[in-house]
Amino acid sequence: MQNSENTSNFYDAIVIGSGISGGWAAMELCKKGLKTLLLERGRDVKHIIDYPTANLKPWEFKNGLNNTLQDQLEDPVQSIAYNPAIKHFYASDKAQPYIQEKPFNWFRGYQVGGKSLTWGRQCYRLSDLDFEANKNDGYGVDWPIRYRDLEFWYDYVESFVGVSGERKNLSHLPDGNFLPAMELNCVEKHLGSSIKKEGKTLTIARVANLTKGWDNRGPCLYRNLCNRGCPYGGYFSSNSSTIPVAEATGNLTLRPFSVVAEILYNDKTEKASGVRVIDAQTNENFIFESKIIFVNASTISTTSILLNSKSKRFPNGLGNDCGELGHNLMDHHSSAGAFGTFNGFKDKYYEGRRPCGFLIPRYRNLKAQSEFDFIRGYNIQGDGERQEWEDKKNNEGFGVDFKSNLVTPGPWTVWMAGWGECLPYHDNKISLDEHAKDQWGLPQVRIDFSFRENEERMMKDIQDTCKEMLINAGFEEVNSFNYQKPGGSTIHEMGTARMGNDPNTSILNKHNQIHSVKNVFVTDGSCMSSSACQNPSLTYMALTARACDFAVQQLKDGNL
Amino acid sequence: MNRRVSIKYALGLGLMGIFSFSTFEWRRLHKTIDLKSLQKSKTLISELAETIIPETDTPGAARAGVSTYIINILSNCSSVVEQNRFLNGLQEVESYALTAYDNSFIDCSANERIEILNFFKSKDEYIIPFMNRVHKKVFGPPFFTSLKRMTVEGYCMSELGATQGLAFNFVPGRYNGCTVLQRNQKAWATK
Repeated sequence: MQNSENTSNFYDAIVIGSGISGGWAAMELCKKGLKTLLLERGRDVKHIIDYPTANLKPWEFKNGLNNTLQDQLEDPVQSIAYNPAIKHFYASDKAQPYIQEKPFNWFRGYQVGGKSLTWGRQCYRLSDLDFEANKNDGYGVDWPIRYRDLEFWYDYVESFVGVSGERKNLSHLPDGNFLPAMELNCVEKHLGSSIKKEGKTLTIARVANLTKGWDNRGPCLYRNLCNRGCPYGGYFSSNSSTIPVAEATGNLTLRPFSVVAEILYNDKTEKASGVRVIDAQTNENFIFESKIIFVNASTISTTSILLNSKSKRFPNGLGNDCGELGHNLMDHHSSAGAFGTFNGFKDKYYEGRRPCGFLIPRYRNLKAQSEFDFIRGYNIQGDGERQEWEDKKNNEGFGVDFKSNLVTPGPWTVWMAGWGECLPYHDNKISLDEHAKDQWGLPQVRIDFSFRENEERMMKDIQDTCKEMLINAGFEEVNSFNYQKPGGSTIHEMGTARMGNDPNTSILNKHNQIHSVKNVFVTDGSCMSSSACQNPSLTYMALTARACDFAVQQLKDGNL
Repeated sequence: MNRRVSIKYALGLGLMGIFSFSTFEWRRLHKTIDLKSLQKSKTLISELAETIIPETDTPGAARAGVSTYIINILSNCSSVVEQNRFLNGLQEVESYALTAYDNSFIDCSANERIEILNFFKSKDEYIIPFMNRVHKKVFGPPFFTSLKRMTVEGYCMSELGATQGLAFNFVPGRYNGCTVLQRNQKAWATK
């Protein structure tokens, strides 16, 4: 192995990955006084400065928001998610390939900030209905934590992130410390009062968009262009929030273009000694050492680093004594739902572009025992709006009348779909392909994932209940759908290095610490024992802050 | 051209489109196009777009520069098949205009232009129900359908279309979920 001169770089802590959880790890560790090296495989993205499209008007895009044919061919997966306004926040499939056993959309944000730049900003707490689910029905392994273990940390991260929302007092979707809620529009309020009669709740989405100034960021100015990066800091991202705070401590070293090849294990200390990094620009190898390591490279990348970290002690990947590393991959499904039009509120409209929709919290299987032909549950996310030109492209005809109709607000519509839990199946997995290598000579990731019968049955129920809610609320032309999107499409990949009480069936303990390598912590989506149905980022952040607190205490106590 | 002849013509072309899938047809749709020929047809494209979104009390597609947008989309974002299909469509428009009205499209009257586009619209409507998934993938969207889609997109995202045809507010600064719709209030240009 080729080593450069500065191989003796030593830090208190190394954080691998600067996305939503890595940013948190870096900030917490720096605030606690640890000299921290934050490694990021992609380029740097500085808040505001590196948001080149943030202030571009629609006509300033040469091809509108259409991807070029070349982009579609070179990035067959990423180009599904990106458009010319946000392409620079997505990896290139051509430059960074992976192998799909079955179709799996693996969307990646390889830059400082990762996918925290482009995330959907939904923030929902898990509850004990979720933390006890594996134990109750026997799928996966029991979570080693309960809501009481995380409640303080949810409070803690929310009070920094700034989450707007409405308190609803639901035990299965605990309230948080909310900033003032954004408003529902006429048709959403109407749907809400209709489903209330059926015992269901409709509330504004709980989002990391600031409805008032918060910690020198924001407020949101209702442009709904969040994923280009917000020049006002109107939403939470690593770039706008955690990394600047980490930098201000003077303890942070941020190193972009650092592809982590492996975590190095020391047989004598029985701990990880550091990481081997390949500089993405020069291909030089570097070794960085530290007392503790946080792995936050995003679910699939984190586990592929662990799998590639082979030693005499761990021939099958770091911490992989039980063989579960890479297994139990999950992603929410969000393919099924319904839409309809509403013949009313014709004299009403809205002003401003709200960067979120509404939420109908889970209403199925709220008791431990399933009452339906599927287990677990789903929530409904959707939005109400009046038809505008994008919805009227296919209206009949052309000419003066067509134009006049095109530029006039059309009927109110609601589109909504179920975000559903995916069970942890052992054979939904990722592995490393030792024959196919990437440009740095590292093995490519092979993904083998499919939704199963429980998810299919749940999707059917989503279609039926969405349709029913809309019909009961007096909507017309109600149609249900199932887009049959492949795994990965919800960009909520989870699992593959799960938490659990038993080292024989799980990789991480209740502190997100690798059972058998105590100074390595994994706190991104890969740690999830089950997927629940809530958008998961808030939970990653809470777990990260909690694990950082534990790790630093352990360091102080001389245990690491 | 009377309506009956027009329908016959439509049926004929439509059936040709569906059933004449031959090596010749495949090659015709896969030949590399000369992008300059699109530039040469810019006025025709502009006038076709203007027929779809005409100038009224607000600008039409021509003044909004939609032809530039359409040429960009065809040059940068479209497959060779879609490019050929569009170019063939332009040729068919010209030959139909000559046959039916003894004029090139841009020299036809406003009413004649509407009749011509109505003909191509009904042709698409005849073909589309017969197009299965494979057909759509191999041949791309038919001419009028893709012309209309690009015209609407190009217009609504153009500066004149967004700010004068529609209502554009780049930095709203607030969200009001329930406002009273004013008389003749335009729809928002962006979601």
